[in-house]
Amino acid sequence: MEEDAGEEPGLGRCTAPTDFHFYHMDLYDSDSRLQVLPEESTGVRREAVQAERTYEPRGAREGQAHRALHEEADELVHLYGLEDDHELGDEIMDEDTPRLGTAEYPPYGVKRGDPAWEQRDWRLGGEAAEAEDLGFGGWGSRGQCQDLREAYRYTHGRASEEYECYVIPEEEDEEEAADVFCVTCKIPVRAVENLDAHKEHEVTPLNQALESAKDEIHKNMYKLEKQIIDMENFASHLEEVFITVEENFGRQEQNFESHYNEILETLAQKYEEKIQALGQKKKEKLEALYEQLVSCGENLDTCKELMETIEEMCHEEKVDFLKDAVAMADRLGQFLKTKTDVEISAQPDFEEQTLDFSDVEELMGSINSIPAPSAPVINPQAPNSATGSSVRVCWSLYSDDTVESYQLSYRPVGDGSPGKDQAEFTVTVKETYCSVKNLMPNTQYEFWVTAQNRAGSSPSSERAVYMTAPSPPIIKSKEIRSCEEAALICWESGSLNPVDSYTVELTQAEAPQAWGVTESIVGIPTCEALVQLQPRQNYTIYVRALNVGGPSARSEPATVHTTGSYFHLNKDTCHPWLTISEDGFTVMRSERKTPMREPLASNTRFTRCVAVLGNLIPVRGRHYWEVEVDECLDYTIGVAFEEVPRHEDLGANRLSWCLRHTFASSRHKYEFLHNKTSPDTRITVPPRRIGVLLDYANSRLSFFNVDISQHLHSFSCELHRLVHPCFSLEKPGCLKIRNGIPMPKHVTFY
Amino acid sequence: MGAAVSRVDSHQPQKRNVSSCRMHCVESLCLIFAVLSISHLYILVFFFPPGSSARGADKKKRISRRMALKQVSSSKSFGGFQKVFEHDSVELKCKMKFAVYLPPKAESAKCPVLYFLSGLTCTEQNFITKSGFQQAASEHGLIVIAPDTSPRGCNIKGEDDSWDFGTGAGFYVDATEDPWKTNYRMYSYVTEELPQLVNANFPVDPQRTSIFGHSMGGHGALICTLKNPGKYKSVSAFAPICNPMLCVWSKKAFGEFLGPDQNKWKAYDATHLVKSYTGSQLDILIDQGKADEFYDQLLPENFIAACTEKKIPVVFRLQEGYDHGYYFIATFIADHIRHHAKYLNA
Repeated sequence: MEEDAGEEPGLGRCTAPTDFHFYHMDLYDSDSRLQVLPEESTGVRREAVQAERTYEPRGAREGQAHRALHEEADELVHLYGLEDDHELGDEIMDEDTPRLGTAEYPPYGVKRGDPAWEQRDWRLGGEAAEAEDLGFGGWGSRGQCQDLREAYRYTHGRASEEYECYVIPEEEDEEEAADVFCVTCKIPVRAVENLDAHKEHEVTPLNQALESAKDEIHKNMYKLEKQIIDMENFASHLEEVFITVEENFGRQEQNFESHYNEILETLAQKYEEKIQALGQKKKEKLEALYEQLVSCGENLDTCKELMETIEEMCHEEKVDFLKDAVAMADRLGQFLKTKTDVEISAQPDFEEQTLDFSDVEELMGSINSIPAPSAPVINPQAPNSATGSSVRVCWSLYSDDTVESYQLSYRPVGDGSPGKDQAEFTVTVKETYCSVKNLMPNTQYEFWVTAQNRAGSSPSSERAVYMTAPSPPIIKSKEIRSCEEAALICWESGSLNPVDSYTVELTQAEAPQAWGVTESIVGIPTCEALVQLQPRQNYTIYVRALNVGGPSARSEPATVHTTGSYFHLNKDTCHPWLTISEDGFTVMRSERKTPMREPLASNTRFTRCVAVLGNLIPVRGRHYWEVEVDECLDYTIGVAFEEVPRHEDLGANRLSWCLRHTFASSRHKYEFLHNKTSPDTRITVPPRRIGVLLDYANSRLSFFNVDISQHLHSFSCELHRLVHPCFSLEKPGCLKIRNGIPMPKHVTFY
Repeated sequence: MGAAVSRVDSHQPQKRNVSSCRMHCVESLCLIFAVLSISHLYILVFFFPPGSSARGADKKKRISRRMALKQVSSSKSFGGFQKVFEHDSVELKCKMKFAVYLPPKAESAKCPVLYFLSGLTCTEQNFITKSGFQQAASEHGLIVIAPDTSPRGCNIKGEDDSWDFGTGAGFYVDATEDPWKTNYRMYSYVTEELPQLVNANFPVDPQRTSIFGHSMGGHGALICTLKNPGKYKSVSAFAPICNPMLCVWSKKAFGEFLGPDQNKWKAYDATHLVKSYTGSQLDILIDQGKADEFYDQLLPENFIAACTEKKIPVVFRLQEGYDHGYYFIATFIADHIRHHAKYLNA
């Protein structure tokens, strides 16, 4: 009977496979499928019907159950194997058969032989026992389900290989022999055959028919593949659910059992106590009664003795009588004075005994309730899980715990200043994670979590420190320097606290989509990066800051054009008499001499010659820039080392190479100065636009008259270190620097 | 061969006899090289396509078609070849030699051509043996032509009397006076006959031609450019005679070649020509040694002043310590070839 009970609900479980019907019906009902595999299709249907039919005989025997299972397995095989898997199906059936003999789920089967179970039996009514039996019996079907799962897994494993083999075989011989395909009859018609039979029919060339048929089959195959994938996903989902249910119920059962045992123990203990108490009482009462009985007998004896003595006295002499009577009277009086206790000291009736089952009731009640959870375990911060204003905090619970909600508390980690307690915040969530928003960027927060359920709340977890991502850096677009091969990007951190590193992302701005790949340079420790680039391109550049919490948002973009060299004037070096225009590329010396702002004089500022240095990108390539000058202006342009003496004229030392123009008495004088010396060179046409070519590779510095592509002079200079453009105005006027322009072809000869 | 050798032999001793000590300074030893190098003599006959009719073509052209180039020497240099050819000049009515440097690039493509006009007393040999120009020419892929400086062996009375007049001193003018006017047509030779010959016989791109020279040749280069705007892409000079009308050597030569009318001289004077120049944009590079022993004769300041006035772009570099010789040229030859390459290879 137990066996049957075990299997019976199992048949009821046929509903589980019917869930699959939705999928496989969908699959098999598609017309294409029917066309391709008509036989299989009907076969499957038949089986499905049979499987449903097994519902009806409620008291079905094991053999039938086996059959039903076989069929289910078969079905699954067809489902996943799709075709020609009879063999596989058979294999599975074979595998199944021995297992079905022991279809009960062992742990539950064992329970029945458990002494605890029997002990329970005497308490529970027969009906209850039956219900229990059924309940557990229901789990017997789990064995069945496992079998199904096995079958599924088996085919599942094969499935992926299988659909690669769907390729329709080429029918070489037919291609040659048959000429047309009769659409009406749906058969190929060979050329040699008489076509009369298909005269009226719609025919298409065989190849075309073949192609379209193939197409259709490929389409269907595609659909099938998709369905297979869907089903696989669904199946794995089911599997997960299956496992979860299994675990949950297992846990529940354990709980149940332990509670049960507890209750029984409590009850047994109570029984013992009660019995002892009753025995004690009985003994006490009996003793009391016995004592009373004894004293009663004693009294009776005394009375009898008195009676006898008095009777004796009556027979005595008068004198004696009187003498004795007085004594007797006293004795009698005395005796009678002592009250004879006739009350029954111990009540024979049973005292009302209230049995206290409140604790048992409580225990009984707690069978369905759950213990308060233990403290959750808060996870350390996962990389890249934070943004500038939020962090994602995760924790885990002990698997035995049932938790209804969590309370996540946090507060910013103080900078150690006492007395300034940071405000605490608490959020309640159901999940084991929480994205906490509205936080300060690049700040550490302390998090702890407590779990709660009906039974109460857990102790709080350990405290974990999470850090929000930094705020995006701010690119100093005005300080970007570039040349044809590289760019030097500077930025401000944007965060008060230090960050771990920075990432520079760059995209070629005008490149087509496919090429617009973002390139990243990671792990930059400082607020500056020299980025290698392609010449004559436009780039959009972003910077992110990184800390343990993750990367910040992108900074505002900056654009870099790798056309020519692009530098800025270094205002720190600027002589006080010089002013630099808004755009930074016009150097002016006004007519009126503004008084020297002495306090500003520093080591970096030019004091003697009215000059300013440019900030050239530190790349030892070729750099070209132009300077627009006035023909009558006295100016000096060239290059100088960073440490060129500020109190000397440019070109008056070994640290600078310059073209100096002086205009006096309508004569132009051009000097190419280095270390105070210049070659004697005369130039007949005063340049208005001077090109300067700095070529580290060839150690040359060349000057050009841009307008007429005239080469003016080339220095051979030893540039061991980096030099910077320098500009000086010896008379009031202005120089206009033209930056970021392509190198003219004529300069490439120098 | 015998003729060539005899020519050199016959002239050289006479030349030597009349040479002043200055001649040594200017140019001397090179002529010996000329003799030594003519060890092999190949005769190259260039055939011209017969298709085009000779009739209707001008006389010079018809003559040039019949011109035969005789290779006098060929030496590999910097991957290319330094060759010397001899031909019968129609303009000069004598056998003329000229040097050709063919860079490696000329084997596969047409190359620009650069003419170098040498100075007083020179032949085609001086420049090719002493300046070391081949390296730069090879790098930039330029064909360099170095013609002789005057007709040779014309047996005109007085042509070998002086080192600075006559043989080796044609001054790149077309003489108008007897007895010079028949042979001494160096201007036409270097601007017309030789270019045609070169264009016809070597892989040159005639559109890309430039010219430079030294001393008298510097004067030649300047006047050729100034008189033919657009013909030469660029011009440069080493210590050129800038104002020949005021120069002792050329005053004598101009008087003999052009007659006493100084107005006619102006047509061959760079300083005068530049004043009326209205042609295409020029970019003149002139190098001048500060220790040049003939500095007084060259008068570059006059030319610079004229150019400054006319806004003709010149970069005039006075090179401290350099004299007039080929060591000076060799020092700055690379700069000059780069200057021309900039325009020729642009």
